[in-house]
Formats: sequence, C-alpha cells, structure tokens
Amino acid sequence: MGEKTSTAGKPIQCRAAVSRAAGEPLVIEEIMVAAPMPHEVRIRIICTSLCQSDVTYWKMKDFPGIFPRILGHEAIGVVESVGEDVDEVTEGDTVIPTFMSDCGECVDCKSKKSNLCSKLPFKVSPWMPRYETSRFTDLKGEVLYHFLSVSSFSEYTVVDIAHVKKIDPSIAPNRACLLSCGVSTGVGAAWRTANVETGSTVVIFGLGSIGLAVAEGARLCGATKIIGVDLNPDKFEIGKKFGVTDFVNSGNCGDKSVSQVINEITGGGADYCFECVGLASLVQEAYACCRKGWGKTIVVGVDKPESKLSLTSFEVLTSGKTLMGSLFGGLKAKSDIPILLKRYADKELRLDEFVTHEVRFDDINKAFDLLIEGHCLRCVIWMDK
Amino acid sequence: MVEKISTAGKPIQCRAAVSRAAGEPLVIEEIMVAPPMPREVRIRIICTSLCHTDIGIWKLKDPPGMYPRIFGHEAIGVVESVGKGVDEVTEGDTVIPTFISDCGECEDCKSKKSNVCSKLPFKVSPWMPRHESSRFTDLNGEVIYHFMFVSSFTEYTVVDVAHVTKIDPSISPSRACLLSCGISTGVGAAWKTANVEAGSTVAIFGLGSIGLAVAEGARLCGATRIIGVDLNPDKFEVGKMFGVTDFINGGECGEKSVSQVINEMTGGGADYCFECIGSASLVNQAYFSCKNGFGKTVIIGVARPGSELGLSFHDVLHGGGKSIMGSMFGGIKAKTDIPILLQRYSDKELRLDEFVTHEIQFNDINKAFDLLLEGQCLRCVIWMDKHE
Repeated sequence: MGEKTSTAGKPIQCRAAVSRAAGEPLVIEEIMVAAPMPHEVRIRIICTSLCQSDVTYWKMKDFPGIFPRILGHEAIGVVESVGEDVDEVTEGDTVIPTFMSDCGECVDCKSKKSNLCSKLPFKVSPWMPRYETSRFTDLKGEVLYHFLSVSSFSEYTVVDIAHVKKIDPSIAPNRACLLSCGVSTGVGAAWRTANVETGSTVVIFGLGSIGLAVAEGARLCGATKIIGVDLNPDKFEIGKKFGVTDFVNSGNCGDKSVSQVINEITGGGADYCFECVGLASLVQEAYACCRKGWGKTIVVGVDKPESKLSLTSFEVLTSGKTLMGSLFGGLKAKSDIPILLKRYADKELRLDEFVTHEVRFDDINKAFDLLIEGHCLRCVIWMDK
Repeated sequence: MVEKISTAGKPIQCRAAVSRAAGEPLVIEEIMVAPPMPREVRIRIICTSLCHTDIGIWKLKDPPGMYPRIFGHEAIGVVESVGKGVDEVTEGDTVIPTFISDCGECEDCKSKKSNVCSKLPFKVSPWMPRHESSRFTDLNGEVIYHFMFVSSFTEYTVVDVAHVTKIDPSISPSRACLLSCGISTGVGAAWKTANVEAGSTVAIFGLGSIGLAVAEGARLCGATRIIGVDLNPDKFEVGKMFGVTDFINGGECGEKSVSQVINEMTGGGADYCFECIGSASLVNQAYFSCKNGFGKTVIIGVARPGSELGLSFHDVLHGGGKSIMGSMFGGIKAKTDIPILLQRYSDKELRLDEFVTHEIQFNDINKAFDLLLEGQCLRCVIWMDKHE
C-alpha cells in the first residue's frame, strides 16, 4: 500500500456543492481549499444535513445573501490538519463544527448566563470569522464565500477553532451531526434558554425539525403538556414520537385565532411558548397565548431581517410575560454538545427519528427539494469516502 | 366630651377633589360616600400623593378617561368601617390601599411567580372591582367614577379588601403612603421583577420618583454601577441620594444614541435596563443598552394607550437569552411585600424620606399637579385635614 502523502500545509483540491445564484440548484465542482491559518482547522466532512437557514440564505438575492457561496452548517467531520496555535484538536479527531462560537476567553463565554460569544460575534458573514478572508477558490481562482463560519457542503472545509468541538468518534455520524445545529437549537431552547420546569405546559409553533427538537427538549425537562401547532396534520403523528401531547391545526381554527384556541385548551395560556417558524405574526400569537404573570415567549425561528414585532407597550407592561430570543438554543457548544451526545448514548435523547432521508453528495439538490416541499425532517448528505 | 356617633352602615358626607373635565383643575366639593358592600372597606384617608399615572389619565378626554372622577391611588388611611365578609381588617386599623389586587385566592396570587391577580385583574376602571358600581355620588345624586380601584383624593373612600394592606400604624404616614404605589413599583422592579444580582450594572431611563426608586432597589440588591439617564442634569445630584453612580444627559449625547453611549461605558451593555418614562422609543434604547445573551429589559413606565414597542424580530432573536418584560407594581404582592419594605425603612435600610419634596394641604391639591407637571417635585404629599 502506498504511503498517504500528507496534505498538511498545502491547498487541497476537492469537490464542493457551490451555490452560484440565488435559488438555483447547487453545482458540484472541483474547488481549492487553502491550508488553515492560525486558530483554524481544516476538516474532511463525513456527512452534513440541510437546515432551513441554508435555504433562507440560498434564496436571498441581496446581502446577506451573496454568491458564489458554499452553504451548509450542520455537519460532522474529521480533522485533516490544524493551523498554528491550535491545541484543542489534532489530525484524526472527530469534530462537530458550529455556527456559534465558543471561544472560552471572552466575558460571555466565561459566564454561565450567556452563549453569545463577544470575541467572535454571530453574523451571517461571507468570510472566516477571525481574518475576514476566504479559504475557498474555484479552479479559475475566483473566491467562493463562506457561510455561517462552517460551509459544510464540501468534502473539505476550514473552520475557526472557536467553532469546532471534538467529540467521541463512536457515535453514529448521521446522528451526531444533528447536534451541530438543529437539534441542539431546539433542545437547548427548552433546556437552557427557557429552562422549562417539570410539570409545565409548553406550546410549539411549527413542527419542523426545530419545533420537534423543542418538544424533545421539553419532554426531557419534564413538561407534561406539549402542544404542537402546525398547518400540516401529519405533523401530529410525527410529533408524538418527540413528546407532543396535543395538536392544533392552525388552518382549522375557524373564526378563532390560534392563540384563542390555545388559551381555551390551557385555561389561560401556556407556561412557555416557542416560535419555531420565523414569522413575526406567529411571535405575536405565541405571546398572546403564553400565560400572563409568568409565561415566557421564546423566539427561535428566523424571519426576514426587516420584519417587525407588533406588541403594544401596555400589553408588555401589564401582562407579566417575558419575551426573549434563543440563538443555538442558548447552548455553549463545547460544554453542552458532549452532554447531549451522552444523553443520546444513554438512550434518553432521541436523535434517530429526526433523520428521515439520506442521500449521497451528488444528490444534494434532492435535500433542498425535500425540505422545501415539507417532506422531510433531516436529510443527511453523505460525502463519499 | 360628646360621644362620637358611629357612621358604620350609613352614607358619609365629606369633601373630595373631583375631576370634572379632562386636564382641568380639580374642584373640592362635598360628596356622598356609600357604606362598603360585602368584601369592601371604607377608609378615612390620612394623606395621599400624586403619581404620574393620575396625570396621564386626568388628561384623557376619551376612555379610559371618564368624568366626573375621583383620582388618586397612592395613599394611607384608617379603616372607618368594613362590609360583610371582611375579617382581615377592622375599624381603626391603619391601611395602605393598592391599585393592584392581592386576593390570595387565585392561581396567580397563590403562585410565587406572579403578582397579577386574575380574580380581580388590573384595569383602569371607573368602578369598584367586585360589584362594578360606584360608591360615590355628588350632592345632585350624580355618579362619580372611581380610579384604579382606590380613589384617594377624598376624605373618605371605599376600597375592596383585596386592594387593602394592614400596616404598622407607628410609621410616619407621609412615608408609608409612598409604598402604596410609586416606591413599591420602583424598588420592586429591581428586587422582584429583575431580581438584580449583587455586583451587576443597571441602567435607568428616567429619574422621576419611579426611576429613583428603581435605583434605590438596585442599590439594596447590591448593584455596583447604577447609570441614570435623564434630560434634566439636576437629576444627577438627586439621583446620588438613591444610589445612582453615573449620569447620562439624554439630550447631550451628540450623534450617538443613548444606547451607544451605555454600550461604550459598560463594554457591551448593562445587565438590567429599566424604562421608567413610558416611551416606546426609550424602551428600544433600553433594550439595546442591555447585554446580549442574558440582560433583562424591564418596562415600568406607562405609555400612551395603543403605543407599540417597535422591536424587530431580528433584534429579539439576536438578543439571544436577553429578555424583555413589563413590571406591574414592581412585581410586588402587596400584602406580603409592603410590610417587608416598611420594615426595611424602619431598619434604616430603605430610603423613603428623600422622596417627599413637598407637603401641602388638601385644599391646595392642584398645586401638586402643577409641581409634577413642571418636573419640580418628586413626591408631593397631600394631607387631609384632621377630624376630631
């Protein structure tokens, strides 16, 4: 057997699914991936999954939509090489990249209370976070933009060490990769952001992967009533797998608003309401059916940047309700992802049921079709070995 | 000595400051105060103070503005008589009325987490809360409307027992009355609603009585940096008395917004921001002055009806665990927390004296309105005349 030539320190030519125009199918092409700079890690992707946020920015013609770009941010891989000043991981480690930084150095990362790293703050940037440059070029030498500091729709990618978490390699990659974004976001929103109490009532607007992960998180926290709201009645059967106890078809409420229906079912509102679609109007519905006095409304979905919330000062003043957002479920990647992986290994946290489809890298556009048609939860895309 | 005739069970004729038209001076006139119905308490007011909320509704021509009305909701008095079914208080007790109910029976009142009673929910109603009628008539027999279930600008008023807290009579009434609304609201917002942690940084928008009470509450909670924001530079000296450590003149930030200035001063935002004026744009400033990830923005000020917050979806989502919430009566449960605050005043921990900047007689009640409208006072206490 020929000895494998080390690629460390050199550019790698490999295949990537490049998004060259808003809303158009990705094109599999050969690209060059530069060596990692200091504090960076080059990763060979094992598998990756499609998230609604990829679709949102893939469709966006104007900034922060930008092209040509390598999308994808939910993934798992193996470290191929590291840049200078990287001690946390080494070649061969199995790692999960995350769009949220956990630098461990700033006041926020050191605080128990915040997961919003201030050293490398979250933004939808076309660049690597620390140097604001790209590691990708096509074979003509044209720059390809990064996405959410991850860019996983590629056989190789480069990620800042603050966005990389080493994990136990024995966990099935098409399960572990889910904790890179979607399931962590949902479970975390219930567990960390809302801190759902045992015995409470929870309402979840939108039963996509995120909403179902919120249900799973609420179930693990001991919520006894988990009401799922969706336009698609099939979601109830699916939701039951993740702890949903009641279902409201928001298209079937007749003259009543969804919040009226929920206020009736719950006798005054839920303890926690999660918006997992990304619509200002639904945030308002969620706020209207969370219980006055102590209810919390948590915004998890992603709406268009300019979308405004219409709440009156009087309502906020007198209701005793709290409104908050949740980015990456309030999780600190490096400490919380291993906790969630262990809970999966201990058969407490469900991950398997989120993976409804698996495709090969060449068929990546099928994943987009499936998600846009609402026919899948997570579609895992396997890179070829 | 002539034996005092009991007034229990009978209407009482007394003087009240009646508001007969929006924005016009109150008129002192004789009125009739009916005896208390079941679960109600008739109270002889000792003294009362003016709050901005009285002014806000007094100016309104349309509902919830209604006339003729007896304003006032921050007060202290003595029980003259009680209606059926009242065991908590009896004739002669010193009591503080509150606009927020603490019925002790509903899920909210029984829960530690909520102070918004659902049995007798808050509203700016013209009536008594339980029987939705009025106890006041003028001498022509015309109904006079109540205000916030208290109506304290009168020698006698009737208040539902859920809105009445019995207190230690030895505390000076011109101090104790402040806990009936303003100071409880401010101190509570820091203590109960925000649960300000020791060592934290707080920003307060608006240094009126409420804002200064928030500062006092934050100080008692151990906040180490208390930033006060106001357009009036005199408020800094005043604020220092209550724990304000830094001052921002909201009119002198140049091209920067107040939130930019606060973010720079604090290296990323305050842990808690309180809006104590009632302006949607200031609520926005407060939200952006608050640390992303875990800051709390607390709305206390009462905005014009219908005024919208105007936060964007993006702002809330990207604030992460940063939250926004309102604070009614400072999150305080009147019957348990007012005695606690009174005790802290007696123990010389909580400052109340410095809030009272003016004291006047009932006949001069309109002066209190002038002083507050001109921004020339904190609390102006209005003393009822004594009765032998």
